[in-house]
Amino acid sequence: MTHSLHRRGSRESLEKDFVVLSCSAKGFNDNVFGQKGKEFLRICLRHHPVNFGDMKTGNFLSVDPEEVIARVSNTTILEVTYDSKQDVVELMRDLKEADLGVSVIISGLHDVVEDIVRQVGLKRIHTREYSLGTHGRLELLPEYEVLEFTTMCGHAMVASGLVKHMIAQCKLGRRSLRDAAVTMGKCCSCGNFNVNRAQDLLARNLGLWVADWPIY
Amino acid sequence: MQVDAEKCVGCGQCIPFCPVDARSLGRLPGHGRVTLIIDSDRCAECGVCLRSGICPTDAMYQEALEMPRLIRAILSDPLIEFKATGVPGRGTEEIKTNEITGRIRFGYAGVGIEMGRPGVSTSWEDVQEVTRAMAKLGVGFCEGNPVTHFMADRNTGDLEPDVVKEKSLSAIIEFDVSLEKLPEVLRVLQEITPQLETVYTLEVSCKVHPDGTLPVLPIIEQAGYTVLPNSKNNLGMGRPRFREPGEEGVA
Repeated sequence: MTHSLHRRGSRESLEKDFVVLSCSAKGFNDNVFGQKGKEFLRICLRHHPVNFGDMKTGNFLSVDPEEVIARVSNTTILEVTYDSKQDVVELMRDLKEADLGVSVIISGLHDVVEDIVRQVGLKRIHTREYSLGTHGRLELLPEYEVLEFTTMCGHAMVASGLVKHMIAQCKLGRRSLRDAAVTMGKCCSCGNFNVNRAQDLLARNLGLWVADWPIY
Repeated sequence: MQVDAEKCVGCGQCIPFCPVDARSLGRLPGHGRVTLIIDSDRCAECGVCLRSGICPTDAMYQEALEMPRLIRAILSDPLIEFKATGVPGRGTEEIKTNEITGRIRFGYAGVGIEMGRPGVSTSWEDVQEVTRAMAKLGVGFCEGNPVTHFMADRNTGDLEPDVVKEKSLSAIIEFDVSLEKLPEVLRVLQEITPQLETVYTLEVSCKVHPDGTLPVLPIIEQAGYTVLPNSKNNLGMGRPRFREPGEEGVA
């Protein structure tokens, strides 16, 4: 699916937002992917991910990283989120050297990903998927500031009501920005939710939003 | 999802966690105190509330689901594996393994229409509206995709009758088309959009040519769309690498 594709935000914010994925190819390497996937995650873990998960197990905000790695199976999707281009460059150098033979995908700004490919010395991007945006009954969508959070989980596990609730909790001093970001991140079981970016977005929104919804 | 009204203390802490606003507080008939009420028609069976662990009295529980309601969980809860593909999630491998599988080749584009995304949810009547329109264009719906799996007739785009009454957080309609046919697909999609009761996100993918160009870009622009500045990129690191004429190492 396209879990990591349709993230919304300013260029400045998206420059600190990368999702690196790997998954098995059915009928080609789904008999050996488990071992390769474990190695992929171990390499990813060395480069300061802000989130990290296996679609069948959950993310490392909720499950111990070693358990996430131990449970990687032959048919799954692994997703690791970073907030630094340099970390992704170093990661890709290690993955290139390891030559695991499994597919590796980066979601991020077109030109920034292209620059990473150049810096690492990979030939070129093989296949690209573009987002053509959202269409239809747009009046059903929450505010754009809320979409910046919720679209960091393509499965829509982070509710727009939760985003507003967390902003309210932070405004009232009931939660720290970090705690609020991690609470949202735990809902996105795959590991796509960039908790550091969410923390930055919360800080930006605290002064802009009025808590005019029920406080539980 | 169900709530045990005897255990629920009506604190409402789970309400913000629901992606489809299916929760409210109220009094059940014959039940004196305030308790959580789940609107089962709205509930997408995504399981977020239960996994959050927010309930202080463990009052929520997931009942066993049967078809057709089970389709809500299959399409809404990412931790549930779709048995037909053996892979969790709502779609196929699409571009993620393209250098290995060779699914999308030069001269073709992959199209994904994700109904209900982001976070609005979709009825399967709306899903069928789109599958029928696309079927008329003769597109080949992707194998291993849950929407394709639940079609009664791929030539007409008709879904199984009991499935049409269901809903889910989202559902991806996936197919590959020739670049010649892509403008017609985008035109028809624009024409039927006002008839839909939900939103959808649209994605188009293609192989990058050896000279670095992407032939879908002018087609997308010609159709009046603007691509977002972020994209998903397969770096071509998988083996066996699929090569076709025009690529490095192939005459």
